Amino acid sequence: MKGINLEIKAGEVFGFLGPNGAGKSTAVRMLTTLLRPTSGSARVAGFDVVTEADQVRRNIGVALQDAAIDPLMTGAELLALQAVLYGIPASLLKQRSNELLERVGLTAAASRRVSTYSGGMRRRLDLALSLIHQPSVLFLDEPTTGLDPMSRLTLWEEVRRLNREGTTVMLTTQYLEEADQLADRIAIIDHGKIVREGKPADLKASVGAPTLIINTNTDQVEKANAVLSTFGDLRPGAEGALGVGLRGGAAQVTEVVRKLDEAGVRVQHLEINEPSLDDVFAEATGHRLEGADNAPSAGDNGDEQPQKKKRRGKK
Amino acid sequence: MTGVATAPAPLIAEHSAAVAFRQTIALAKRSTLELFRQPALVVPSLIFPLFFSFLGNSSFGRTTSLPGFPKVNSYLQFQLAGTITQGVLFGSVTGAAALATDIENGFFYRLLAAPTARTSILFGRLAGSTLFGALETAVFVLVLLPFGADVSAGLPGIIAMIISGALIALAVGALMSSVALKTGSAEAVQGTFPLLFILLFFSSAFFPRETMSGTYKTIAGINPISHLVEGLRALSLEGFSISATARAILVPLAIAVVALFVANRQLQKRLRAN
Amino acid sequence: MSTIATRTPTLTTSDMHSTTARSSWQLVKRGLINTRRLPSAFFPALAMPIFNMISFSGTFFALTKLPGFPTDRSVNWFMPLGLAMGSAFSGVGLGFSLIRDLENGFFDRLRMSPTSRISLIIGPVLATWIRVTLVAVMVFVAGTLLGARPTAGVMSYVCSWVAAIGISTIGAGWGLALAFRFQDMRGAAVMQLSIFLTMFLSTAQVPLNVMTGWLHTAARINPVTNIFRLARAGWVNANDADYLSWQNAYGGLIAIFVLSTLAFVFALRSLQKIDN
Repeated sequence: MKGINLEIKAGEVFGFLGPNGAGKSTAVRMLTTLLRPTSGSARVAGFDVVTEADQVRRNIGVALQDAAIDPLMTGAELLALQAVLYGIPASLLKQRSNELLERVGLTAAASRRVSTYSGGMRRRLDLALSLIHQPSVLFLDEPTTGLDPMSRLTLWEEVRRLNREGTTVMLTTQYLEEADQLADRIAIIDHGKIVREGKPADLKASVGAPTLIINTNTDQVEKANAVLSTFGDLRPGAEGALGVGLRGGAAQVTEVVRKLDEAGVRVQHLEINEPSLDDVFAEATGHRLEGADNAPSAGDNGDEQPQKKKRRGKK
Repeated sequence: MTGVATAPAPLIAEHSAAVAFRQTIALAKRSTLELFRQPALVVPSLIFPLFFSFLGNSSFGRTTSLPGFPKVNSYLQFQLAGTITQGVLFGSVTGAAALATDIENGFFYRLLAAPTARTSILFGRLAGSTLFGALETAVFVLVLLPFGADVSAGLPGIIAMIISGALIALAVGALMSSVALKTGSAEAVQGTFPLLFILLFFSSAFFPRETMSGTYKTIAGINPISHLVEGLRALSLEGFSISATARAILVPLAIAVVALFVANRQLQKRLRAN
Repeated sequence: MSTIATRTPTLTTSDMHSTTARSSWQLVKRGLINTRRLPSAFFPALAMPIFNMISFSGTFFALTKLPGFPTDRSVNWFMPLGLAMGSAFSGVGLGFSLIRDLENGFFDRLRMSPTSRISLIIGPVLATWIRVTLVAVMVFVAGTLLGARPTAGVMSYVCSWVAAIGISTIGAGWGLALAFRFQDMRGAAVMQLSIFLTMFLSTAQVPLNVMTGWLHTAARINPVTNIFRLARAGWVNANDADYLSWQNAYGGLIAIFVLSTLAFVFALRSLQKIDN
């Protein structure tokens, strides 16, 4: 973590976007009192994370990247434990647990041991655990990684609903689509620093120009780039494709093709993309976001089978 | 491809005793190397037993004059046989666990798919354990000798001990291999560890049977491990006699033969199931 | 996004107060539930003391014939050892479950709750004490069946039980510390090895007056020897030097207190390291 400076307004959904290892999870761990910052300070829900850690904890809910649950216990038992740890009075405990179970759709599974839950169910339970005390701020660290498309959409809907009810949400993700869909504002983080910040629409507009992507032979790359760079900023594509931001708009395509032809560049493939967060990212960092081609509909692992215990690596 | 080309001479030799022998050697090399490359193995099979014998020597040194205790120069002289048995027991379980792992991860079937003589698979594995057992015995004798673990039978006795240790390793290895072949699970094999531990305790490995009493004495009397240990112990205490050597070598040999028979049966069962 | 709606919470902040007592008790319940549900962890903890007791008292039966041996009954001597081993491993078992929690991330969740850090420790340790008490009762019953006879009435059982609780507390602190330090199953191996060594380099198997050589020296400086003296205070002959007396008891109590404190300080330090 090189040093980040940001401000999240009450009531908004803030997205923290970046590849693996960029520092997203580290930032979240610091903000949720799990990790002590080496320098600087942070305030969450009005309290300092170091000196007023307990107050911070009372006001935040956290769902980390790996669902943090105890496989030996049942869903209901875990909720009860969480409720007690957060000081929910005994008279309200049952009611609150049931409310949440219903909200995440786990009422039927509540009396089963968590080891029998699928990956999606574990995430839902994790979310329920993070909401039991009605926090005003919710942290979601890569909430849909590894989820099947259906579960992903359900979770997005839930985030929107929570936000409508007034919860501030800070969400980290490596999925552009997710940030685009959910966040009011986003910050792009790369190698421990924030490189861009703002509303998704504004950021895309700032990149402005549509991207022209071509594929050509490796020995012609230099020539091609020389031509392309006269039309705008170079934007590298995925898997060796070349790209340029067309300053003059999509209409410049014919001009580009003609110039490439004159230079003797053989174009194998050509496409035009309207600016996306991917372009914002590529322009800010010089490379594409890992797995940027994974649209949410592709889905990583569709887990509907009970997950085996995962080893939790140190970040 | 068009036309029929003459097939090149097969690299694979036909089945013969010589080939089977070479395969056994190759597999034996593999299982031996496997054992020696696991430093984590050294602790339970070498360090622990040595630690216990030193601990025992300091703890029970004064008991050697108790009625029923055989005549010894030191407790270590009595204990050597038990230490060897303990170390060999644990080392052999690991070899069999490796066989189970081979089955679990499919290497066993790779061996089957190749024209490997079936018995080579088993014997190769056991050869490794047996060699390890012999080596352990030598180490125990060499380390404990300067501390008072005299072997009355002298050098011939030590050689007999090493052979005995190897045979015990073979016997236990074969029995555990049966478990490995039957269950195909390394975890199941490791699970026999505590059982062996219990068997070891309910024997004369640590203290003479003559000093025990009641039901415990009876159990120790029928426990085959007691007889294994006492065979070895005879070489330490009685000198190089026919009877001592016979006990030290014939008892484990007899158990080994039975165990090999059982293991081979299990091997055949597994082969038939494929 | 839509405008911010005012929430109508069903809970107000004044409703919620997480007290140490309440949280600790909930964690005690969790500890006991998990013990029941992981029989592979609990059964050895119960079987081991009884097995130790039977095998040691049977194998080394003749020890009692040594002149000056503290007791005439082999089981009297070895029952406290069995119980001590079981308690040590029950305590360390806390380290095992912490490693599980660390590996699956549940410990993070516990850390993020506003409950006091102390309750995160008190709860599980209390659960351990309850487990050890259960084990002690079963060991006493088994021991009596094997022929153990107390020489100081009820105090015989009390002293053994106190020693067992003490040992499990030390084990718990040590187990927690190693779990925080290693955060994976390597810590488990270190725990088992260290407990084993500490226990056996003392009067676990034979009294001081029977030992010779290096072991005698080691056992004399090992505070665990005092704890064994406490554990056996009501099981040795009434005329033995180590028979129940305040003098013989307080050495063990001090050892328990000091070692537990050190172990838990170590555990707390290791926990703080995780925060950074």
